[in-house]
Amino acid sequence: MALGTEIAGGGRTRSMRLSPDQHRRLRRQARIRRELTAWMFLGPMFLFFVVFLVVPVVGTVWWSTQSGGIVSGTKSVGLQNFQRLPELVGATNAIQNTLTFALLSIPPILIGALAIALVLARIGRGAAVYRFFVYFPVLVPGVVAGLIWLFLTNVDFGLFNEVLRFLGLQPVTWLGGGSALGVLAALDVWRNVGYWAIFFVAAIIGLPEELYQAADLDGAPPVKRFWYLTLPLLRRILFFAIVVSTIWGLQVFDTALVLTNGGPGTSTTTIIFRVWQYVFGSNDKVGFAAAISLVLIVAILTLTLTQMRLLRSRRGGD
Amino acid sequence: MSVVVPRRGAPGAAGAIAAEHARSRRRRRLRGLGKHAFLIVVTFLLVAPFYYVILASFKNSTEIFTYPPKLLPIPPFVGNYQKLLGDTGFLRWMFNTLFVAGTVTLIKVFVDSMAGYALAKLDLTGKRLIFVLMLILLMVPLGALIVPLWALVSAMGLTNTYLALILPPLANPLGVFLMRQFILGLPRDLENAGRLDGLTEFGIYRRIVLPLIKPGLVVLAVIIFTDQFMSFVWPLIATSSDNLQVLTVGVAALRSHGGADYGLWSAAAVMSLVPIAVFFFVLQRQFLARSLAGALKQ
Repeated sequence: MALGTEIAGGGRTRSMRLSPDQHRRLRRQARIRRELTAWMFLGPMFLFFVVFLVVPVVGTVWWSTQSGGIVSGTKSVGLQNFQRLPELVGATNAIQNTLTFALLSIPPILIGALAIALVLARIGRGAAVYRFFVYFPVLVPGVVAGLIWLFLTNVDFGLFNEVLRFLGLQPVTWLGGGSALGVLAALDVWRNVGYWAIFFVAAIIGLPEELYQAADLDGAPPVKRFWYLTLPLLRRILFFAIVVSTIWGLQVFDTALVLTNGGPGTSTTTIIFRVWQYVFGSNDKVGFAAAISLVLIVAILTLTLTQMRLLRSRRGGD
Repeated sequence: MSVVVPRRGAPGAAGAIAAEHARSRRRRRLRGLGKHAFLIVVTFLLVAPFYYVILASFKNSTEIFTYPPKLLPIPPFVGNYQKLLGDTGFLRWMFNTLFVAGTVTLIKVFVDSMAGYALAKLDLTGKRLIFVLMLILLMVPLGALIVPLWALVSAMGLTNTYLALILPPLANPLGVFLMRQFILGLPRDLENAGRLDGLTEFGIYRRIVLPLIKPGLVVLAVIIFTDQFMSFVWPLIATSSDNLQVLTVGVAALRSHGGADYGLWSAAAVMSLVPIAVFFFVLQRQFLARSLAGALKQ
C-alpha cells in the first residue's frame, strides 16, 4: 500500500503517515471491500443454490412431518409418516424395486465399461469412431430410450423376439412381471456403459507408463498385468464410479414410466415413481411423498459423504 | 489368446531372436485384430436399437408387424413423420427444450464461472464451508425435491411459466467446481499483472480469466445443455400447460395418451435425437469431456 506517500487532492497536500489505529481501520475497510467483491462474484450462483437446493432439502424434512396436500393444506403429524411408511401401499415395494434395479444394472455397467475401456485405451486406428458410437446412447434422454426399447421388447415385432425367432426359439414376453425390472436394468446398461467406458479410458491413459514397461520387461502376461497393476491403480477411480453410478441408479424413473409404466402391477415402480404418484395421483399423500424422498436424499448424502471421507483418507495414505 | 511373452535376454542365436520377433509381431497384430473385433461387436450391440427404430419409423402400421422384417425401408413411408410434425405439438416441444436448455446454459456459464473465480482466487470468509456444502449437496437430484420445489414455485406464482423450468436447475453446483478447478490452474502472475494495470476484479475476470478458460466454458456449456435436454422429472411436474411442455414431457405424453401408435412413437424417438446428434458430431471432444468432469470432484 502507498503508506507514507503524498497524495494530491483538491489543492491540499496531506501526509499519509497513519497511526496504528487508523492503520487497523483501513485494513479492515479494505478487507470488507474485498469480501464484498468476492460476494458479488459468488452471490448470484449462491442465491440459486440456497433457494433451489438448500431450502428444498431442508423443506423436505418439514414436509415429511405433514399430512394432507399441497393445495388443500396440511397439518403436522410429527414422525407418523415414517412410522406408517413400511405399511403404506407401495413404499417398501418401491424401495425394494429401486435397490434391485441398482444391483442388477450397476455391476454389468461397470464391468462392461471397464472391459471396453481396456481395449479402447490401447487402440490406434479408429478410436474416435468407436468412441462416438460407444458414447452415443449416453445422450439419449431416458424417455426416448424407453420408447426405443419398446421396439426391442415388443412381443410381436420386437428386435429381441425377431432374433429369437431367427434362431428357432420361442418368443419371450420381455416386459412380463418376472423380467420387466431386468429389462429396465438392461436398458440402463445400454444407456450408461459408454459414459463409464469413456471415463475409464481417460483414467487408464493417465496411468504411469513406466510401471507397464517394467511389467513388460518382467514378461507379465496381460491378465496378470490387469489384475496386479491396472486394477489396483484404478482403485479410487473404481470406487468413485461405484458410488456415483449407485446414486444415479437410485433415481431411475423416466425409463420406467415410458417403458413399463411402473408395471406390470408395481414390479417396476421405483422410488421417484412413487413420489410422483403420491403427489399427483392422490391429494392427501404429500407427507408420504416427502418422507420417501427423504429416505432417498439421506441415502444419497450418505453415499456422497462416504466417498468424500474415503477418498480423502486414501489420498493421505498413498 | 496366448499369454506367452518372449523373455528378452534369453540366450540364443541372432536368427532365433529374429524369428521370435517376427512371431511376437504377428501375435500383436492378431491381438490388434481381436481388439477391433471386440469393439465392433460392442458398437453393433449399442447401435442396433437405433437402426431398428429408424427402420420402424419408415414403415406403415402393417409393415411394422410383417415377419421377416424388411432390413431396408424401401420405399420409405413418411406418414409417421407427417403425423408427428402435423398432428402433435412436437415442434413446439422442441422449441421449448432448446429455449429452456439454451437459457439455462447461458445463465449457468456466466454465474458458475463467476462463482468459480470467487472460490478459486478471492478472499472470502467461510469459503471452505460453502465449498463443502456445495460438494455435499452436489448429488441430490431435483427428482428427490419435487414436493418442496413445487410448493416453492407455486408460492412464487411461477407455475406454468418458463421461469419455473429455468430457475431450479440453476442451483446445481457441478459447474462451480468445474470452473474453480479450471481457474485454480491459471498462474497468479496474470491476474496480478491485470491488477497492476488498474483493472477492477470484474475487469480481471472478464478480460483475463474468461478468455483463458474458454475451453472449460465450452465443456461446461455442453454438460449443462445435455443435462437440460435430457431432464424430465422436474419439467413433468412444473408444467401442465401444453404450450410449455418440453420434448421429454411431450414424448412421454405421446406414449401414455391414446392407444399404441408404434409408427408415431418411432418417428418421435428419431426426431428427438436429431439435435443432440448434430451437437455431438460437431463438439465430440467436449462431449466426451463430459464424462471426465466427474473425475474433477475427487
